[in-house]
Amino acid sequence: MKTTPPYDVLARRAPKNSGAHLFWQTVLARAYPRVIGQQREKSWMFFDVVLPIIGVAAYVFVYRAIQAPEEYVGFVVVGGAMTAFWLNILWSMSSQLYWEKETGNLALYIIAPNSLMAILLGMALGGLLATTLRAVVILVLGSWLFHVQYAVVHFGQLVAIFFLSMVALYGMGMMFASLFLLLSREAWHISNLAQEPVYLISGFYFPVKSLNFWVATAASLIPLTLGLDAMRQLVFPSGATLGFLSVRLELGILIGLCVIFLLAARFLLNYMERLAIREGRLTENRR
Amino acid sequence: MNQNRTIYWRSFRMAAWLGWQIESNWTDPFLFAVYSFVKPLSGAAILVVMYSVITNGAFGSPVFPYIYLGNAFYQYVGAVMTGVSWAVIDDREHYKTLKYMYVAPISIPIYLLGRGVSRFITGSMSVIITILAGMWFLHVDIDVTAVHWPLFFLSLFIGVVMLAMMGLLLAGVTLLMARHVGFMGEAVAGALYLFSGAIFPLDVLPAWLRPIGYAMPLTYWLELLRRALIGSVADAFPTLSGYSSGQLLAILTALTLLFSAAGILVFRWCDYHAREQGMIDATTNY
Amino acid sequence: MFLEIGNGRYPSLSTLPIHAIIPNMTTLPAIQTENLGRIYRIRGSKKEAARELVALRDVNLTVQPGELFGLLGPNGAGKTTLIKILTTLLSPSNGRALIAGLDVTQQPGQVRQLINMVSGGETSGYGLLTVRENLWMFAQFYGIPSAEANRRIRELLEIVGLSERINTKSSDLSTGLRQKMNIVRGFLTDPDILFLDEPTLGLDVGASRDVRQFIRRWMDEQPTRTLLLTTHYMVEADELCDRVAIINQGRVLACDTPANLKRNLQRDAIFRLEVSPPDEATVAALATLSGMRHFVRRDEEGTAVLEMILHEEAALAQVINTLTQSDIRILNLQKREPTLEDVFVDLVGHSMAEAEHENNPAV
Repeated sequence: MKTTPPYDVLARRAPKNSGAHLFWQTVLARAYPRVIGQQREKSWMFFDVVLPIIGVAAYVFVYRAIQAPEEYVGFVVVGGAMTAFWLNILWSMSSQLYWEKETGNLALYIIAPNSLMAILLGMALGGLLATTLRAVVILVLGSWLFHVQYAVVHFGQLVAIFFLSMVALYGMGMMFASLFLLLSREAWHISNLAQEPVYLISGFYFPVKSLNFWVATAASLIPLTLGLDAMRQLVFPSGATLGFLSVRLELGILIGLCVIFLLAARFLLNYMERLAIREGRLTENRR
Repeated sequence: MNQNRTIYWRSFRMAAWLGWQIESNWTDPFLFAVYSFVKPLSGAAILVVMYSVITNGAFGSPVFPYIYLGNAFYQYVGAVMTGVSWAVIDDREHYKTLKYMYVAPISIPIYLLGRGVSRFITGSMSVIITILAGMWFLHVDIDVTAVHWPLFFLSLFIGVVMLAMMGLLLAGVTLLMARHVGFMGEAVAGALYLFSGAIFPLDVLPAWLRPIGYAMPLTYWLELLRRALIGSVADAFPTLSGYSSGQLLAILTALTLLFSAAGILVFRWCDYHAREQGMIDATTNY
Repeated sequence: MFLEIGNGRYPSLSTLPIHAIIPNMTTLPAIQTENLGRIYRIRGSKKEAARELVALRDVNLTVQPGELFGLLGPNGAGKTTLIKILTTLLSPSNGRALIAGLDVTQQPGQVRQLINMVSGGETSGYGLLTVRENLWMFAQFYGIPSAEANRRIRELLEIVGLSERINTKSSDLSTGLRQKMNIVRGFLTDPDILFLDEPTLGLDVGASRDVRQFIRRWMDEQPTRTLLLTTHYMVEADELCDRVAIINQGRVLACDTPANLKRNLQRDAIFRLEVSPPDEATVAALATLSGMRHFVRRDEEGTAVLEMILHEEAALAQVINTLTQSDIRILNLQKREPTLEDVFVDLVGHSMAEAEHENNPAV
């Protein structure tokens, strides 16, 4: 240990922000590892871009094998790009608090003077930025490989739909984070379970209208269902005829989902924290 | 030699037991049952809906059982490869026991193969459930008396060995990698889906991609299983109809040997480098 | 002059006499517990019935601002449970705990603005981030402006001798260095009350000494700071702490300055005897001698060490008589000053190692 020079860090009191300033500081700080982590570990390029592209290709060729109209290829490419978000929600949002608990960080997050909501929001923001990059790469590559033609009818609505879908989706992820922690000993089992059923009912590879009306309605609780449906309506010439609901209605529902999921996330997070403190279970890992 | 055999058997048995404890212990039996049904059936239902939308529900065509059975058996690919390779991440980053496994007098590759057993068992359940659902609800007509059972079981066995060795290859790669998304085995299986003729014939692929499919043991394996169960499905697409079942078996066996050798060599190489880079007890959470 | 510390109720402390500016912090204890208890309900499984584990019972402690307070006890004594309650991570089953007058269960948000915690033997943050990035991230969670955070990180790392590794990914650090980083994290946010749970656990002798010196300096530089430290190392408690509470099986058995705790034993005669291995009958005979207060036997290679607290020095004759009658050779005899270990033996009846075994029979 060095004793000279006499650093004043030991005597100097640290200035500290509070309130909204602290909240946003926390959001950005927790988003940081998400973005930088991706930068440091390049292997995601293979697993998160090359593999999904190949997965998309498999469904494209199924459609070609059964001589489907070429429109469907575009549907698959757009759906394939959006799977990146669903995977991110499952693997890096929903099961994240569980991993934080296992690595001992959850206790440190709880005792810090910020709100846990800011931590979750930071994870979501970081995950959203990192995943958007992946999704864009999949979309561009897929469109190029399979010669997908787009005809955007309303750019403003498209941006609004994408934005609202993401807010609602990540709100849902934030809600799941507490829920998964409460429900399961090993959260990734739930993540693994929720993968294919959602690909199915949210219509990642076919228009959700092809499903039974009630199934499609129930599936609309997952923000990607309506988000995807609306986006397809807005970017493909025949999209509107295969759409489930009108784009305006879907916009409205998505706004509602945003509010519901963010409120539910907050409620569950508080509940999880209270339970953790009462039972002393959630801050201990089970290795 | 004898001592080696003891070590191998001990490693395998212990790992299989451990894998089953982990696999069966994470939830109550009810959720476990839901899990065993929902996941495979949703995967199959995606294809069923796609097929039905385009063909207006022409389930009588031999094309449908071709797709359905290919997809059903393909579940083994993800299950076995994940079972073997996920053990690396699970032990290293979650239970933090990989380093203790390494210092124990066991064989690590055999240990990892043993960890795949539980996934093989649950995978078998998924395959059976998917096929039964097809038979009962979707006109996948398997005549139990007409099935060529010896061919079926022989092909299945060779295929599982092949998948386990591919899982070992992947486990080697995992040793050198960070924890990223979910199950890497599933991800790789998803990618190989394209080249295996599981849900569409290799002829549909662009000409420059077809050789990859022909080099994959999976292609011949799935074709053999389909032939053994419903002979007529092979006629849906003529891609491999020029080969007799015996020829397909020979190709499958040769490719399995080749992939096994590759699995062992790649694992050794990665294992060496993982030690060199100190990855055996790394945690890569972010 | 009022910096924004926490919720703004606590002003800048470095420039004015503390009594003048924070009546709260000087008139109220920094930490206070009243009949604090905690019971864990351990859920049953197929092979084990559900049961209850009493981790803390009726703990009454008061720590004044500016104190470096030690909780000394074997593993499993309840130290970590107490820290968890005080850091708002666990609610008590009965009684209450106050931090600067704030109830940890009712006002956790306000308590968290005053505290931080470091658990020894644990790491924190993300392996893919560098040391600086990890520490910066945690500083942000406490609202410290970026520039100030980075400045504090540089200086603290310099002091603990980690500055050359500032840009190393934390996954590439050795366990000891990662632990040092974790310790820096606790001090970085400049808490009014800092909880250190076994901070030197697993560190080597040199690193432990560094950490102890650092803790002492940090306390000396700001007389308003309060630090609660748990340890099962006697020397650590003796060397560092202003006051020590000895805790075993969830109960506080004594609480005083190390000197006062030992003073009670100074009237007694404390001897360390090294002898050839005695048989069980001799050991039993020694334990029941009238002049014997406490007696601990430790086997070493080829010999046995008898640590004895006698009522008076004259009782030593009884001991030597018993030993010579049983043909046991005395290899070394030493009279020594009481240590905290002796205090523990005096209170509990056996050594800390034995108590640990009793608390964790499975270990």
